[in-house]
Amino acid sequence: MREPFDEEQGLEQLLNRTLRELPLRRAPPSLEARVFAELRRRAALPWWRRSFAYWPLFARAGFVATCMALVGLAFLEGAWAVARLTALSPSGAPSMFWARQALAALAGAAKLAALIVGAVTPAWLYAVIAVSAALYAALFGLGAAAYRTLYLSPTIAGDP
Amino acid sequence: MGLNEHTAVQTPSTEPSRSTEFTTFMRAYQDMVFSTAARLAGNDSQAQDIAQETFIRAYEHFDELRSSPAAGGWLKTVSTNLALNHLGRYRRRWRLFSEMTAGAAEEDPPEVQLPLPDRLLEDLGKEQQRAAIDAALRRLPEHQRVPLVLYHFEDLSYQEIAERLRVSLAKVKTDIRRARAAMLPMLRSAGHAGGEWQD
Repeated sequence: MREPFDEEQGLEQLLNRTLRELPLRRAPPSLEARVFAELRRRAALPWWRRSFAYWPLFARAGFVATCMALVGLAFLEGAWAVARLTALSPSGAPSMFWARQALAALAGAAKLAALIVGAVTPAWLYAVIAVSAALYAALFGLGAAAYRTLYLSPTIAGDP
Repeated sequence: MGLNEHTAVQTPSTEPSRSTEFTTFMRAYQDMVFSTAARLAGNDSQAQDIAQETFIRAYEHFDELRSSPAAGGWLKTVSTNLALNHLGRYRRRWRLFSEMTAGAAEEDPPEVQLPLPDRLLEDLGKEQQRAAIDAALRRLPEHQRVPLVLYHFEDLSYQEIAERLRVSLAKVKTDIRRARAAMLPMLRSAGHAGGEWQD
């Protein structure tokens, strides 16, 4: 009686022999024309629409210099803003008015949210959680079914 | 290596001799590139896209490739990498579902039909054999077809395949074993039917 290991080795060798004797597939006749058409299309693109590696040297250098300047400026601006904020007193800065307004609006929104949550009964909360979980499970199942049907299923011979 | 450096794409029509030389180069390798891409992708349309991109990269490096004895290997590597990248793009989108379903699928490996013949498809001509094998490969799910092709056609080891596909060694071995077991009845059936597919 053959051992499973022998069977596997036998199958491996059998397939190896069969596959290695296989002639190459012929490339479609249209491939050559497609390659040259695409090369022509890419060559016709202006430099700024090509990838960075194809930009002229001066453009690459300018881009790098601009980026470095912007990063430096952002660091400087951040440091300056922090220094200004620490120097200002909490009450006497007119430029801080918008910040206080924004904080007050946020606090108001938080209070409103807390009020709504407080007014909702636990039964409602549980129902919302249950419905959300059910919808999530349905979506997950739908995704899994679509994956199995459309993606995992082997392609039938000759199908595109 | 210089092949990895970028050079600007130039208009083929402005350089007739380079174009002619590249056409000859492409004709020499296009079947190999297309076959590599088609086996991995399992889809002719995607294989054409991959082959096209491979030759565009070859054109960018043509000054080095035209006289290189390693040009064929370079093209094969690029087409394999592009095909794997192409497949990976789709695989990542579905990884969650793939992992969810893969575990269940691996619990029941199909049994090998004994006795094994000495040869498969021996009554068929070479083109019929190729068609039957291509059809069988297309019927395999991607997670079985890709490692099988890398093992049997690209000569990669199990470990190399696991690293390339970023999956465990055990999964690679299981997928290849399952792929072989799935291909055997398909090839037997095609052999009995004279190359015509039998469902």
